[in-house]
Amino acid sequence: MIDEALMGRLVSRAMRYGGDFADVFCERRRTLSYRLQDGRIHDASYAVTLGVGIRVVVGESAGYACSDDLSPAALLDAADAASLIARTAPDGGERSIELSLEHSPAFYDCDRSDTIDAARYVAMLEAADTAARRYDPRIVAVNAHVSDELQEVWIATSEGRLVADCRPLITFGVQAVASEKNERGSGYVGDGGRTSIEFFARETPAALGAEAARIATVNVSAVPAPAGEMEMIVGAGGGGVLLHEAVGHGLESDFNRRGTSLYSGRVGERVASDLVTIYDDGNLPEERGTLNVDDEGVAGQHKVLVEKGVLLGYMQDRLNARLMGVEPTGSGRRQSFRFVPQPRMCNTYMPAGESSVDEILASTQRGIYAKSFAGGQVEIAKGDFVFMVGEGYLIEKGKITTPVRNASIVGNGPEAMMKVVAVGNDARLARRHYTCGKGGQFVPVGVGMPTVKISSITVGGTQHG
Amino acid sequence: MDESTAIAIANHALSLARDAGAQSAEASVSIAHRFNAEARAQVVAKLEGSTGKSLFLRVFRDGRKATLSTTDFTAGGLRDAVTRAVGHADLVAPDEYAGLPDEAATDGAGLRLADPALAQREGVAKVAEALELERLIRAADPRVTNSSGSHYHDAVGVTALANSTGFSAAYTWTRVGRSTGPVALDGEVKRIAHYGTAARYLSELEGLGTIATTAVRRAVDLFGARKPPTMRVPVIFERDVAASLLEDVFAAVSAANVAVGNSWLSGRVGERIGSELVTIVDDGRVPGGLGTSPFDGEGVPTRRTPVFERGMLRSFLYDTYYARKLGASSTGNSTGGGVGPSNFYLEPGSISLDDLIAATPQGVLVMDTIGFATEHATGTYSRGARGFFIENGELAYPIDEFTIAGQFTDMLAGVDAVAGDLRFEGPVVSPSFRIAEMTVSGN
Repeated sequence: MIDEALMGRLVSRAMRYGGDFADVFCERRRTLSYRLQDGRIHDASYAVTLGVGIRVVVGESAGYACSDDLSPAALLDAADAASLIARTAPDGGERSIELSLEHSPAFYDCDRSDTIDAARYVAMLEAADTAARRYDPRIVAVNAHVSDELQEVWIATSEGRLVADCRPLITFGVQAVASEKNERGSGYVGDGGRTSIEFFARETPAALGAEAARIATVNVSAVPAPAGEMEMIVGAGGGGVLLHEAVGHGLESDFNRRGTSLYSGRVGERVASDLVTIYDDGNLPEERGTLNVDDEGVAGQHKVLVEKGVLLGYMQDRLNARLMGVEPTGSGRRQSFRFVPQPRMCNTYMPAGESSVDEILASTQRGIYAKSFAGGQVEIAKGDFVFMVGEGYLIEKGKITTPVRNASIVGNGPEAMMKVVAVGNDARLARRHYTCGKGGQFVPVGVGMPTVKISSITVGGTQHG
Repeated sequence: MDESTAIAIANHALSLARDAGAQSAEASVSIAHRFNAEARAQVVAKLEGSTGKSLFLRVFRDGRKATLSTTDFTAGGLRDAVTRAVGHADLVAPDEYAGLPDEAATDGAGLRLADPALAQREGVAKVAEALELERLIRAADPRVTNSSGSHYHDAVGVTALANSTGFSAAYTWTRVGRSTGPVALDGEVKRIAHYGTAARYLSELEGLGTIATTAVRRAVDLFGARKPPTMRVPVIFERDVAASLLEDVFAAVSAANVAVGNSWLSGRVGERIGSELVTIVDDGRVPGGLGTSPFDGEGVPTRRTPVFERGMLRSFLYDTYYARKLGASSTGNSTGGGVGPSNFYLEPGSISLDDLIAATPQGVLVMDTIGFATEHATGTYSRGARGFFIENGELAYPIDEFTIAGQFTDMLAGVDAVAGDLRFEGPVVSPSFRIAEMTVSGN
């Protein structure tokens, strides 16, 4: 995108006043998406992101500048702007930094030919629409979208490393709305990953459309969620959002280096019931959160965050790892060249436990079964979280009974993790459609989990008593 | 960075679109210089300064629409992207409502969009503000032991719009903000609060002292917070939380949601839905407002639209496409690709928040919420929350780890008091208000 010699010169220029390290992040990304509404292809959008971000790190300080103008003059200006963070030191001028290109392992295939068979994507949207409407006459609206993204990055560092990655990302999603009398219910299903369109020969758009319709028809007949404390069973796969919010964010190294997370300084301590083990993995083939190298040029890794309830470590980017005296874990990610990297999750999941799903259900007198979550949020200082249930049911005397609508779950991360009383033997990764937001930056992630029981949680419905 | 440069880029993109076969097109160009300083304790933790450009293009061919957004301004790159974007329209279904607005125009008089003082400001003075905010939050209360950082940020930008009917216009805007995130230690528990403010004019921004004390109060007031019992009580929403609730109301009056049946207000214009106190307005021409602009994302002049008047639903908010589809006129609410708020707000009352609390024998004051569980199709609201339990008109004790939930129909009908503390700090704003009864779920 820009030549190696210029990248080397930019890193050197950025370090003119010194600094612990500097990096240059070059990005070229194109995304094609189509959207279906009212049974027709509503629009096509094409997006191109092209630019360079330059960072200088001194201690706990970072200077950052970016440019969408790729001329050497504009890029050198950006390097100068980034170097201002170190400006109290004397100007050492540019020194020569030789870059050498490193090769990384590949956890996904990348087709750089940049030919997209758009007609096939459009056919996928139409197939999902047809299948959702055929599923049930109560389906009154179907919205579907598909996007095909290809992101190429080149990262040069002041240590002389040059790393490249090419990341495909396909996202296919269907929302179905069911209507009956005065009630409405909606269902959403998405899938894809760092894969090719061939993925949808296995997970067919028709099956995804029918699944969205099924959830919509469940929700249209759902009763208002109960309010108050009760037992909760979290469904396998999509339930992994719970780990992402209740534990994952609190283990990102920026919060922990600064001491603002409730998990700060607690490595080696018990933070969850001994049934709880949590991994974050950047190396799972084709998952949304998988990275051959992260956005700082560090190889993606399999990390054990919590093992049998004990906190083992944090997810580290370069700046925070350096200050904490540990190695980075391949967790430095950014939304685009316009953003400073942050420590982020990749694919966060819990491995299988020993309980059968039947046992877990049978042990539950009165509770809520959260088969999937529609989203969640956490506040990392105290660890309070909230989740919105996407598909949920009441559990009465060991049986899954009536569907409930619009249930929110509130709780506190470590408290909820201490109350994990059963972990199922049915671990799996969720369908691939999750995106995580932090500090205004959005990145694709994966989650996964077996069926898990939490002995007590607050459900925020409207049915009091 | 000037308006003529941005207009020239927009016009160039239009000519490329025409060359590629578009019958009509619209190009919007934004160029902005953004500055951000973050301080933590005595250290400047982050310093960012960049000028960025982006182009957003909508093209139409035989009623088929496609869009392009790009930051690639290289000669070959731009031509290639525009050509591809026009080509992608081939697979789109023809739509009789798609197209440029019937009339585009601009009127920027008196809008106070840009503070000339901002472009002149030195970086050193900006960084000093972030450092001072850090000092102030720590000085405000000894229990503040840490922070997630204090920020000063500003942007000076130009937005230009041109379309193939010959319309072209541009305006210069500024934005400045300050925010902080003190962490206070409540025994073993860390209490974090965030508070910030933004404006177009530096002189209209809340002072550093007020920001620091507000943020610190939000952190330390919650010391010893406990889970409340599950109950149905009056709920007071403090200003910022009230604004987030108004965002859900906006979603329900957005024609983009109404048109696809994703709104609990579909088909209800002319119905009395809220209480007498519910007057909600979208006004794109509030002088100095952060949602103010001379024209919207497709060149339609901005205006003032009453959305609810004394509880009666008067109008949805439209861009050109959804207006044609639903048989209405655009209200100047196009974002370029969809429907968005300009300055969307609840008309303030006259009492203070303190008086509102004093007038509440028993209830809950909500200071902060987390989550985003609103089902717009059914109007069901639910959030995690923290704040205070109110007894005998006084803040009795802090509460957290609870949820509040209700149906929007009941909530708007239940608005029984509105405070006078409205500030135009964002596109969707609200004064504090009280709802007569909601479900609070705790123990």
